[in-house]
Amino acid sequence: MNTTRMNGTGTGIYGIRTNGIGTNGMTEPININDCLLQLYEEHYELEDYQKGVPRWCTGCGDNAILTAVQRLCRDEALPPEKTVFVSGIGCSSRLPHYMNTYGVHSLHGRALPIAEGIRLARPDLKVFVNMGDGDCCSIGAAHWIHAIRYNMNMTVMLHDNNIYGLTKKQASPTSPIGLKTNTTPRGSYLEALNPLTVTLGVSNVSFVAQVVDWIPKLLYQTLSAAYHHKGFAFVRVIQRCPEWLPTHLDEYLHDPQRILLLQHENGLTIDAELSKRYTKIEEHDPSDLNRAREVASGADPIPVGILYRNDSVPRYEETRSDTRLRTASLVKNGLEAEFDKFTIWPEVDDRSSTGHARQNAQRESEYGS
Amino acid sequence: MEVKAQDQIAFYLTSAHIGSALRTLDRGYRPALFARYGDLTSLRYDFPLVLNTVGSPERAVLSLSGLVDDAVNALQEDINRDRIARHGYELERQLRRELASVGSGTPASHGDFATLWNAAASRLTIEDKTDDRSSIEDSAKRLWKLFQASGELVDVDFALPARIARHVWSVVQANKRWIFRNQAERLLLKLHSILEAEIANSEVGRSPERLKASVGTSFANVFDFDIMSNVLVRAKPAVRISDDRRNRIQHLIDVLEHQRFFPIGSNAKTYEFIFYRAADAVKAYKERHREAVELVKALMVAKLEVSGEYRESGKVDDKSSANGTLEHTAIFEDFGVDGLDAGQLALLPDYLVCKYSSELDAEETMQIVDALSTGLPIKILLQTDDLLEPSVAQARLAGPERHGGLASRSRHITESTIGQTDVFVLQSSISQAFRLRDDLFRGMAYHGPAFFSVFSGATGHTKDLPAYLVAAAAVESRAFPTLVYDPSLFADDQAGDDWATRFIVDKNPDVAYPWPTHSFEYENESHEAQSKKLAFTLADFIAMDDRFKEHFAIVPNADLNDAMISVSDSLKSNSRELPTAVPSIALIDVEGCLHHAIVDRRILEETRRSQNMWRSLQELGGIHNSHAERLVEQVKAELAKVAASPTMLAATAQPVTDKAAMPAPVSGSDAVVITESSVASVEESHGDDPYIETARCTTCNECTQVNSKMFAYNAEKQAYIADPDAGTYRQLVEAAEGCQVSIIHPGKPRNPKESGLDDLLERAVQFN
Repeated sequence: MNTTRMNGTGTGIYGIRTNGIGTNGMTEPININDCLLQLYEEHYELEDYQKGVPRWCTGCGDNAILTAVQRLCRDEALPPEKTVFVSGIGCSSRLPHYMNTYGVHSLHGRALPIAEGIRLARPDLKVFVNMGDGDCCSIGAAHWIHAIRYNMNMTVMLHDNNIYGLTKKQASPTSPIGLKTNTTPRGSYLEALNPLTVTLGVSNVSFVAQVVDWIPKLLYQTLSAAYHHKGFAFVRVIQRCPEWLPTHLDEYLHDPQRILLLQHENGLTIDAELSKRYTKIEEHDPSDLNRAREVASGADPIPVGILYRNDSVPRYEETRSDTRLRTASLVKNGLEAEFDKFTIWPEVDDRSSTGHARQNAQRESEYGS
Repeated sequence: MEVKAQDQIAFYLTSAHIGSALRTLDRGYRPALFARYGDLTSLRYDFPLVLNTVGSPERAVLSLSGLVDDAVNALQEDINRDRIARHGYELERQLRRELASVGSGTPASHGDFATLWNAAASRLTIEDKTDDRSSIEDSAKRLWKLFQASGELVDVDFALPARIARHVWSVVQANKRWIFRNQAERLLLKLHSILEAEIANSEVGRSPERLKASVGTSFANVFDFDIMSNVLVRAKPAVRISDDRRNRIQHLIDVLEHQRFFPIGSNAKTYEFIFYRAADAVKAYKERHREAVELVKALMVAKLEVSGEYRESGKVDDKSSANGTLEHTAIFEDFGVDGLDAGQLALLPDYLVCKYSSELDAEETMQIVDALSTGLPIKILLQTDDLLEPSVAQARLAGPERHGGLASRSRHITESTIGQTDVFVLQSSISQAFRLRDDLFRGMAYHGPAFFSVFSGATGHTKDLPAYLVAAAAVESRAFPTLVYDPSLFADDQAGDDWATRFIVDKNPDVAYPWPTHSFEYENESHEAQSKKLAFTLADFIAMDDRFKEHFAIVPNADLNDAMISVSDSLKSNSRELPTAVPSIALIDVEGCLHHAIVDRRILEETRRSQNMWRSLQELGGIHNSHAERLVEQVKAELAKVAASPTMLAATAQPVTDKAAMPAPVSGSDAVVITESSVASVEESHGDDPYIETARCTTCNECTQVNSKMFAYNAEKQAYIADPDAGTYRQLVEAAEGCQVSIIHPGKPRNPKESGLDDLLERAVQFN
């Protein structure tokens, strides 16, 4: 990325719009440093985002996802110090360790609430979330549902390999019926949970996509579209587990006919090279929620592409944005006001209690002002 | 009849009353076109204005009528809508009457909007005889809620131009202050945080006392804070920032906290930015220049500091120096030696100078022109109260000297500032204030100097006419035409940067004509409705002024004749011979009766000068531009010539047929086919060499684990065969078998002596 701008000839740097009164008053915020000070070029390579050697098994689909997000960060020139990856627990949740950005390897199932907190406190950061199928769809399911409804701006990847890998092969909510695991030695009894239809069924849903880890080009394109979406962008990545389910996805892997590509001008565009190999292509308009639900219900062939997107869904952090400067005194007064509500004052006569009431009211009004 | 015409011609030439047939223009006459404006308080027009202090800057100047209309519209289906609207209009009229009754030229025709509104409501309630009294109060309250406005209610008087200018200026500055504080306070908070973080991570920060204080009283006895401190100090090294950086940050904090441009916190005192003399403003600017530079620099450095991008000298790492990085210390050393540029100045407050043209002398005029030419953000308001000053205009009309002109003092500055091309110029009468409010804002928000020349209408020589009417007449009669020169339109790509874009005269009435004309309806002696077109000229404007009454002579209605023609008609001939017709204007007296007055030659010549000046303004504004008109004529003539010549026609048609005969360009799909086939041929050319379909690689590390010298990742972290001879054919085949997406093609063995080749070749078949 080249951010060199030696002089300012645009209207923005003057701070004052030169052509009349704008919609938000006469002026727009000034970025004084645009004019002079970014003298050096910011240029990122893939290595700038790489940290350590991944301890995933060879052949693991997590590697493909890691590479795709690293490429995305590089191409979008995301400053590592302005990017944060949040995960829960599981194989997939080790991803933040291998990103040379900020990262939170949090509690099982709790990646989303932590990401939401980051989003509220630091709106300047780009937030990515990586969860496994157990992490998201089992222990973290409640958070997942509400995160969809909050529609906060973040890119969410569900690494779905249909199995608990880190704990050595237990059935997860997305394990297909009949799958033999350590917890279901006679085969899984229940119909698998479909993360796509669940997501599409929650109100305020704004972006849902599905992709497989073995088509790197589409994986990148989908994650890129998710990143550019303003809101909660949910991408389910169907992923191989070579260690515990080595042949589980083989038939999809080797038979291009069992992949259904979704193409649209507002979705993914399939280039000639891909369409030569994957000939099953459907024109799907991502604004069509009902069709998206139909497509999402199909498991064979696997639909790949953007199922649904709607940029006009309100985002929670914007409806709740606080423009006040969080000075130490503001925070202190706010906390004091809250604590005082529960304080038992030693003096109990009427006069002093009204005095405290007044003091409380004053503190609250300071905080609220 | 002949004799009377002679008398009239004699008056026209000499302005002496010869014969008894002519009467002097005494009090009570006003231009005929003012007939409808006898009582301004019964009309609804822009004034009075509300100088609003709440809400967005677009709503800083509001019209009372507009407010009432909007409020009534907002009621929509309300069942009380008609009643509230009726009361609203009554209140509006009442307010207009109260402000006007103070009289033009006195300083009291303004007041707090809320107070005046409530007072008007209670007065109407008291006077009200028919309606139920509480309903007026209720209407007033409901309308007030819908207004969403607060501030001063002002009518036209001599103090209004300065009042509006100060108001708009302060709204613009408040906006700037908001942006500045928003930025500076955030920076300050972060700068403080940097220093605090260092202390918190230092030995002092981890001292037992501090640790104890941070835990609070409940657990104060649970921990051994000495040991805790010891552990923390040893386990985690303190983060120290360099002394240079600490000093720099401390300096930035000092600069930001102690600056007096937009003070932060309550301690520092604000600088004064409103001046009475231009020279004082320039002087103040110069005195504060060093501080301004220091402040702008501090903002820039602080922004770099908080984002960790500030590069000190001698601490450039290899990577950045390879990219040609400059150190910020060196850049900021000489910052501001050439002054601040417009973008940087825009961060700081503008200077406002309010000045009366009657107090202008040569020195002050020069100072104003100088101040405007410096390019500094100085806004100058020059208020003219009297366009026909005796010192200039009357001396000229009476004496032989013919220099100067109408409103010559302010015009001189207006013309020279337009010539400077980077000064925003707005000239207008105060009656246009509401209509020009956007322009006024643009001027005040313009990042360079701006000059506002305003005619207040409060001349003190115009009988009982309200100042608003005089001000409006000045625009109507071209005595003080409205013009805007907006150099900020330079910067806007869409608007272009030509003179036609920047110079705006089309806010004048009937802009394409020498004089605005209006139809005038009246009744003749037999009460038949009559109508005629009247032009409003400078002569009409001058007729309003007491000091010039000897230049007009009323002709008794019985003596009217065809030799009396309108001023605008008589300006059409420029003959020096003895005139056969005399110019006249239409007037009405206090009873509303129509009269005609002859205009003498000096007034006519003054009117002609005014018309010529308007003509040049029109040209500058692109109306009837003589260059353009000539060019149009020329092109028309050429086109006519082409149309007349049949050979030319054939020649022009030729290239078109050639084009049609050209072969169609290669279509897109054909081009794609060619590319695809060439791609295919490249793919096939691997022969017996091993290869990987790199684009399909999922970076799963299978092959690189087999042999990291043979298989490597490219810049996209996708595998390719780096060196086919770095390993065995067995490794190639095993890698192909291990690759889950089957994109490794082992080809043929490169070393025929490798053992077990037969088996390997067999295994490789499915991958080749």
